[in-house]
Amino acid sequence: MVHAMPHDHHDDHAHALLPPEPALRVKALETILARKGLIDPAAVDAIVDLYENHIGPRVGAGLVARAWADPAFKARLVNNTDGILAALGYGGRQGEHVVVVENTRECHNMVVCTLCSCYPWPLLGVPPAWYKSDAYRQRAVREPRQVLAEFGVELPADQKIRVWDSTAETRYLVLPIQPPETVGLPADQLAGWVTRNSMIGTGLPQAPDTAP
Amino acid sequence: MTGKTAKTAYNPHHDMGGQSGGPVIPDKADDPIFEQPWHKRVLGLTVAAGGMGVWNIDMSRFRRESLPQQDYQHFTYYEKWLAALTNLFVVNGFVSRDELIEGYQGPLQPIQDNIMRAPDVAAILARGAPSARPYDGVAKFTVGARVTTRHPVDTLHADPGHTRLPLYAANKTGVVLFTHGAHALPNSNAHQLGEAPEPLYAVEFLAADLWPDSDTGHGDTVIIDCWESYLETA
Repeated sequence: MVHAMPHDHHDDHAHALLPPEPALRVKALETILARKGLIDPAAVDAIVDLYENHIGPRVGAGLVARAWADPAFKARLVNNTDGILAALGYGGRQGEHVVVVENTRECHNMVVCTLCSCYPWPLLGVPPAWYKSDAYRQRAVREPRQVLAEFGVELPADQKIRVWDSTAETRYLVLPIQPPETVGLPADQLAGWVTRNSMIGTGLPQAPDTAP
Repeated sequence: MTGKTAKTAYNPHHDMGGQSGGPVIPDKADDPIFEQPWHKRVLGLTVAAGGMGVWNIDMSRFRRESLPQQDYQHFTYYEKWLAALTNLFVVNGFVSRDELIEGYQGPLQPIQDNIMRAPDVAAILARGAPSARPYDGVAKFTVGARVTTRHPVDTLHADPGHTRLPLYAANKTGVVLFTHGAHALPNSNAHQLGEAPEPLYAVEFLAADLWPDSDTGHGDTVIIDCWESYLETA
């Protein structure tokens, strides 16, 4: 962290005010690029603002909720995903080609990128640290049930798992099973049940305000 | 086409699927999107620089994979991005190694014409960079076809080379689940050898076939997107 604020208390520990090395490196590179006219720092600000404040898992949750509430929309979302996303303005970088995979009682879907960190940015935002971690990339394809247990998810033994390894520019979004107690709720209330992890396949829908 | 790397020596450090690993640590509800302020700048710089159109996503991925083994293992996620981005600017002649050390000493330059500007950011990101391409050939495989993967080494177009066929899926037989149409081929595109679009298939493999020594019951499967040249008829 860049803690440049002076402390208003005294303690026994000396605080190094020098920012950590990577922070200095990125500042050095950005300074060179800006001075050479190779970057517009305001554009960098705008990109950060988009992914920090505007694009995130609520986009995907809204789609899932609408699919739950409206079978005709669900059919279009599954069968003409890129068309629907373009029409709604949810296409774009790292979501140019999206496939929606629907969970059923027979089959649970789970998404990973073993080679890097491919993730549907326009629908879920930037990926969480665990998705990019070596542990998830290593283990999700080989021992998905053990990985799910670490997320507190245990599936019935007779529900098979399909693990989608995102090796191309196709991004996969899981359409989770609608919890039976939510049937009949309007889409705006349903969206609260759709967790980010339920759209990656490492979680299940949950009552609002109980999970990330 | 094929590089000099021997199959037995092929062990790229980014290709880690199927290896044993530590626990996966889920995040908490109040974890910030960016753990450190500098992470934001790395992401913003990387996206903005990609907008210059000088390098494509395959070149960008190849640069990250090509970091030295010890850097790849010890760098945090955004340090890898920063290191690879810096390398891209240097190898493409935009920034010199001296400038990285001494700073840029020349006159302040105006923002160049092909640089992403703030008012254009939302529209450029909403457009993205689709990899689907027209293709006038005939797809070799149809849905339901049984296919066998080649070894990743045999898919390389350069040495060292880039491929999106994971090592855990080398020489494995699966079934074409559906097709994605034709897409630019990373194995070629990463090395500026042309986009060379090919049909792309979602191929489903039984976990029991991928890892015969593991306890993988339940009929679990893994689906991998495979370009046509990764595959042979089973």
